[in-house]
Amino acid sequence: MEKKRLSEEGLGEELEGLLAKTPPPKAPAWFAAKTLARLRQEDVRKEKGRSWLAGWRWAWAAGATALVAGWILWDRPKAGPEISDAAVFAALDALVEQDEENRWWAGL
Amino acid sequence: MPAEVTDEELMARIREGDEGAFRHLIERHQDRVYGTVARMMGGAGPEVEEVAQDVFLRVWRSAGTFRGEGKFTTWLMSILRNLVFTRLGQRVRRSGLEGEDAVDEETGESAMDSRPDPAGQTPSEKVSFRELEQAVEAACAGLPENQRLVVHLRQYEGMEFEEIGKITGMSLTAVKSLMFRARETLKKKLSGYLTASK
Repeated sequence: MEKKRLSEEGLGEELEGLLAKTPPPKAPAWFAAKTLARLRQEDVRKEKGRSWLAGWRWAWAAGATALVAGWILWDRPKAGPEISDAAVFAALDALVEQDEENRWWAGL
Repeated sequence: MPAEVTDEELMARIREGDEGAFRHLIERHQDRVYGTVARMMGGAGPEVEEVAQDVFLRVWRSAGTFRGEGKFTTWLMSILRNLVFTRLGQRVRRSGLEGEDAVDEETGESAMDSRPDPAGQTPSEKVSFRELEQAVEAACAGLPENQRLVVHLRQYEGMEFEEIGKITGMSLTAVKSLMFRARETLKKKLSGYLTASK
């Protein structure tokens, strides 16, 4: 009864029988050995990658230091231009003089 | 390693890096994984073998995420589903796919040869068996991916619909609906081999 119910919910007895005659292929005999070999191969490759990175550690460190130093130098607050008081007064005098001259020409 | 060691125990050892336990787990589930991948990808061959290996490599690398809360086979089949669907998606995107050689390059042995041999058959019976086998494979391959997976898991792995739902991430109703549609399609395609429709 239970089997019939399951079969009705599934493909039906006849179709199930037909499909049962054609089981899916089994894994080849070498499958487990080949999978483990691939796992080891990939581990070795990963390890090589890691050791290459470690071998170039000094280059990474130098590059990172140069970048940090460059950024610090670039980002440093820059001192503004220094102007003496005499220069400021001279510029103001010149402005006043220019203004007076303009007024004279305008007849004011 | 004794056969009565459970999958969960093997996974606990794998988490600690035990390759022996990993080999045991592969040997226990290789036919299930290989057969499912083959059915999903339409035949056996190097690509099927590669994807089946990917499944086990993912098991090894993700062993830490398996907490043993659900069944191991459900977890295993979820990994398989993700990898197979990704590969099938790539296959669709890739244009000009070359024909696949089903013979192993190293040994010259065909994975198709490792199918259970229909023993004691006459040559004419063997021919008709091959014909039936091809018809079933073609009919299954013609199903949409999700239907194909549901049919395989139910028919060949004997899984309950609830478990199939967990693997496919679908509701029970959705799984049953897929099964129903698959049944109708298969019935039409294989009508020539079904006595009721003759």
